[in-house]
Amino acid sequence: MVYPGALKKLVDMFCRFPGVGPKTAQRLAFFLLGCPREEVVAIARAMVEAKDRLSFCPVCGSLAEDECPYCSDAGRDHHLLCIVQEPRDVLILERSGQYKGLYHVLHGALSPLDGIGPEELKLEQLVNRIRDTGIEEVIIATNPNVEGDATAGYLAGLLKPLAVMVSRIAFGLPVGGDIEYADDLTLSRALEGRREM
Amino acid sequence: MYYLTNLTLKKFRNYESQYVEFNRGLNIFVGSNAQGKTNILEAIYYLSVTRSFRTRRDQELTQIGDQLFFLKGVFLKDEFYHVVQISYHRNSPLKILSNNEKVERFLHIQSFPVVVFSPDDLMIIRDSPAIRRRFLNLEISKFKGTYFQNLKEYQRVLLQRNRLLKENRYNSHLNKMLDPWNQALVSVGTKIIHDRIEMVEDLGKKAQFFFNQMYGEKANLTLNYRCSVGCFEQPDETRTKFHGALSEGRRIELKRGSTMYGPHLDDLKIAINGNNTRYYSSQGQKRAAALSLKMAEAMMLKEKTGLNPVILLDDVFSEFDRVRKEYLLLFLKENGGQCFLTSAVAIEDLLKKTEKDYKVMSVEQGRIVSETGGFSC
Ligand SMILES: Nc1ncnc2c1ncn2[C@@H]1O[C@H](COP(=O)(O)OP(=O)(O)OP(=O)(O)O)[C@@H](O)[C@H]1O
Ligand SMILES: [Mg+2]
Ligand SMILES: [Zn+2]
Repeated sequence: MVYPGALKKLVDMFCRFPGVGPKTAQRLAFFLLGCPREEVVAIARAMVEAKDRLSFCPVCGSLAEDECPYCSDAGRDHHLLCIVQEPRDVLILERSGQYKGLYHVLHGALSPLDGIGPEELKLEQLVNRIRDTGIEEVIIATNPNVEGDATAGYLAGLLKPLAVMVSRIAFGLPVGGDIEYADDLTLSRALEGRREM
Repeated sequence: MYYLTNLTLKKFRNYESQYVEFNRGLNIFVGSNAQGKTNILEAIYYLSVTRSFRTRRDQELTQIGDQLFFLKGVFLKDEFYHVVQISYHRNSPLKILSNNEKVERFLHIQSFPVVVFSPDDLMIIRDSPAIRRRFLNLEISKFKGTYFQNLKEYQRVLLQRNRLLKENRYNSHLNKMLDPWNQALVSVGTKIIHDRIEMVEDLGKKAQFFFNQMYGEKANLTLNYRCSVGCFEQPDETRTKFHGALSEGRRIELKRGSTMYGPHLDDLKIAINGNNTRYYSSQGQKRAAALSLKMAEAMMLKEKTGLNPVILLDDVFSEFDRVRKEYLLLFLKENGGQCFLTSAVAIEDLLKKTEKDYKVMSVEQGRIVSETGGFSC
């Protein structure tokens, strides 16, 4: 299909969004074309504003606007720290309303395959933070998969010399992956879930 | 008890259109090479498992140049008929009807348990350890869902750990870096090892039982799990030994850049009178050993489902002497389930001795041209 230049550019832009293919990109583009001009401007402005105003807190790595809502909150327990992989994990924990301590976002997990080691996760800084700011208890909430577990194990080793209490919780869904036996998984699932006829 | 009473094939492999009725006990397809004997077994297998044992690409099952095939089988189970219909079309999802109700693919797999033995299964005896590990992985996955999950996790840990061993940017604190991956490797690996040991023990007893039927009490078929970290009664012991092996072998692992201990390197030793079948057995013995594994699988399926699985034996008689053939037929008869055999040579004289109730079908160029013997059902 031949698009006018401006449309093609827009579709290509949408294609860069995660999970958006050419079809969806085209739908989004036509949706925008159908909107009143002011609305399109508002949408564009919201994007730029979010980008300009939001940043990661230099201390804990959470998403913050101006000042960090967690680090700067005196009402929270500043002796308790929860370590998570991604900024969105913080939001999930917040939604539960159960947790009232501070956070530390790693922005990833140890993964030699992706070239992510302790330096990339700035683990030294994390250890310094824990040692220097009077943290007494650490909860490690990295993802419950191979990489998350390894990260938790490595962290536990790093934190051992510090006199802090360390525990591990898991949340979220385990990630899957394809290997050679994928078909046979379906088979074995089918075997497990059998029914009387 | 359940069995397949009849089968319809349309445009399946070299069958244009065929309807055939079966005996509740023994059914034999005879015919020259390349006439369509194995194709029929494939169709029967497909009806229960909704997948071929020869290929994963359904398109191969359509007649060359065609887009679709159709299979219909009528099973009799506990005095009720179950009509299973499968329609394949290249451009749409597989359609499976069980008594006219749509079912998901793979879903009725244990309603109609089936075990197939084909000449390819000799690979389990002959080929490298990877094939035997795969055999174990598949068999255990069928009976234990967590096993497959562990296997997947183990593969991932292995990849990550191997990458770490190959990297050299962590020289100074590599030990510390390896630590969590070692923990994971050992913890998941040990689960896999012990699931396998348990399976091998059970499978071994059953395979031995079958093998004795074929070769008498004097011949011994034994299965042993060969573990690269050493096999122990208790998982705790295995874990300790596994950790020990990893720390002792660190230097070799670094040199090779890969993990040298763990279930990904283990093997299943299949021995006759103590001698590894892979190296020391005759063709007939190899075949009998492979068949014993499959029959052991059938016995496990029976324990699990309470049904005698339908047994498909492709070209099973070649390489067996007459005595062995007779023993095999006797075993199948005593075992009670429905059985389908193929043979490129006439075997009626063999049958007359042991069997009264059987059916022989001659296959020629994708058609069943004559049906004799036994009582139809
Ligand atoms: N998709 C297909 N469409 C048409 N014909 C096919 C197709 N696949 C295989 N065939 C044909 O089917 C025949 C093989 O059938 P099959 O494998 O059942 O032989 P067989 O009777 O078991 O022979 P053997 O005794 O050698 O094992 C061959 O002639 C082959 O060309
Ligand atoms: Mg054949
Ligand atoms: Zn912060």
